[in-house]
Amino acid sequence: MKTWVSACLFCLFMLFIFSPLLAQDGVEIFGYFESQIMGTKLNNEFIQLYSNKLRVDLKSDLSENITFAANFDYITYHGKTNWNILDFLPSDVVAEVPPGMEAFYVLPFENRHFLDNAYIKLSFKQFDLTVGKQQISLGTGYVWNPIDVFNIKDILDPTYEQPGHNAIRLDIPLGSRYTVTTLYSPEESWEDSAKLLQLKGRISHFDFTLNAAEKTWRFHDYKQFDFESMNFLEIPERRKLLGGSTAGEILGLGVWAEYAYNWMDVSKDFYELVVGSDYTFDFQTYLMIEYYRNTMGKADYTQYDLNDWMRLLATEQKAIAQDQIYLFIQHPATDLLSVGFSTIYALSDNSFALVPTLNYSFSDNVEIFAYLNLNFGSEGKAFSRKMGNGGLIRVRVYF
Amino acid sequence: MKKIMILGLLAFLLTPGSFSQEMTGEDIIQKVNDLFNFDSNYSKSKMTIVTTSGQKRTFIYESWSKNKGEKNLVRYLEPRRVKGQAVLMLNNADDIWMYFPRTQRVRKLATHAKKQKMQGSDFSYEDMGSGDAFIKNFTSKRLKDEKMEGYDCYKLELTRKPDSDTSYSRLIMWVIKENFVPVVIDYYDEHDPTLLQKRLIQSDIRIIDGIPTAMKMVMINKNDNSQTEMELLEVKYNIPLDDRMFTERELKK
Repeated sequence: MKTWVSACLFCLFMLFIFSPLLAQDGVEIFGYFESQIMGTKLNNEFIQLYSNKLRVDLKSDLSENITFAANFDYITYHGKTNWNILDFLPSDVVAEVPPGMEAFYVLPFENRHFLDNAYIKLSFKQFDLTVGKQQISLGTGYVWNPIDVFNIKDILDPTYEQPGHNAIRLDIPLGSRYTVTTLYSPEESWEDSAKLLQLKGRISHFDFTLNAAEKTWRFHDYKQFDFESMNFLEIPERRKLLGGSTAGEILGLGVWAEYAYNWMDVSKDFYELVVGSDYTFDFQTYLMIEYYRNTMGKADYTQYDLNDWMRLLATEQKAIAQDQIYLFIQHPATDLLSVGFSTIYALSDNSFALVPTLNYSFSDNVEIFAYLNLNFGSEGKAFSRKMGNGGLIRVRVYF
Repeated sequence: MKKIMILGLLAFLLTPGSFSQEMTGEDIIQKVNDLFNFDSNYSKSKMTIVTTSGQKRTFIYESWSKNKGEKNLVRYLEPRRVKGQAVLMLNNADDIWMYFPRTQRVRKLATHAKKQKMQGSDFSYEDMGSGDAFIKNFTSKRLKDEKMEGYDCYKLELTRKPDSDTSYSRLIMWVIKENFVPVVIDYYDEHDPTLLQKRLIQSDIRIIDGIPTAMKMVMINKNDNSQTEMELLEVKYNIPLDDRMFTERELKK
């Protein structure tokens, strides 16, 4: 009942906000509705989480040089909406949990609605200026992006859209081949705010970027609870990054690489590296491989501790294992159905996950996506069987 | 009397049938190539995929090209699922970028991506053609003239050049004598030159801005038993297009 009342209020709110815009000519309204079932078999029990997501997009070219775009997301969760993270972790890591704090390691899925993106873009011959909550997509990597300090992709679903970030972005083209981008994402103070400088260019058939960034990384210490914020203790730390990326072709193979060195205020400095390649065979099969190294991850799995696991699961850090390989193969089985198979292999601890995928075009604007997630590592490893085997089915209707 | 003789000689020389006696396969393919090589072009097209099970998927997209097809931009308008997705091809599709609006991510693709089906259709990105593809990738040999789809046609055999990276070992092309429009093209397997993969049939030929243009195309996939129909809803030739339109910046708009 409460859910439906919230949904109605949300619709009324949207109508109120958008009605002046709708009165104008040229406001496009579009988006999608997505219904998803996610399940995992854990300790001989199959737990399920259902979610429904409504995304409403607005776009309007207010004049030749000014564009406004926004989207609202409304998400409801059903089924098992409180997941005890400790159920997924190895017993020696669970033993690190301070006595009496077990109840805090619950991941709640709560209904939410929010303004995901909302920005205005001014486009002139000399520059583009984008102000507001916007997508920030950096790097050439498919699964991992070392130069992207704003987003962490889901390795099981790496092309899923990322949340919008509040920022002021200026893109200045230098001829047809080069662009300088500066980005400022404000927080409480100038020091805490994220800053980015990027030079993007093209040499022969290769694209490249050179990047410098500074951002406050909001880690948590998952062994200490802050009763004031009612969350685990936040330990913000400044991160400075220098890196670059490239993408092109060698001997008919698509190739890309990305590198970033990170200077940390307190923690140990680390670097990330991605190297990838892909190819489409004549029989339409697509093959991709990507190697990822993150020296923040650990080479010895017996060293993974509670904070490593929690930061990984809370998407505060990209990897727990130092070296990983992602392999993806996809083939159009029919005109409407593509089947795929990905493997994520943690070289550091010899564990891996197999992820068969399926994409079906049900009609022009309805698509079905599904995957299974099967882990094959022993307890304590990055892709341990203890993490459970499961999958997801998602139906998305575009309007 | 002398004037009449000269006019008669001129008429004889300009008659396609008589001129054709002199034309080689390379001459004819050059004429076909010249026909496609307009300086710039805009079109809005409707693509309908008919699957083996008879289901249909329809796409509408706009495309712009410049410098005789050296630069190309394709932007999808419908269905909603792909609206805003765009593909930029430069240097005769040796450089390809794809834009995904929901993530605002631009991905550079290698040339092998040209082999991929365009939105699951029977057209690959390579089939959409670019610049001098017929001349660059194939040697042309004239075969015996034939009537095809009701037109008197030159019949050509195009064989892949050794250094070419095209996905077809050879093409058989029927070119209308009157206007040099290739009315039918047969595409043969990359490895087996006897294995027919696809057939393209062009129809509804109209003169647009002085250029004979096939408003309808059907690509029939002999392997999959599927077909894709393409209809030009709007087309303009030799229109002013700014070079800035063919940049990554424009791709994101």
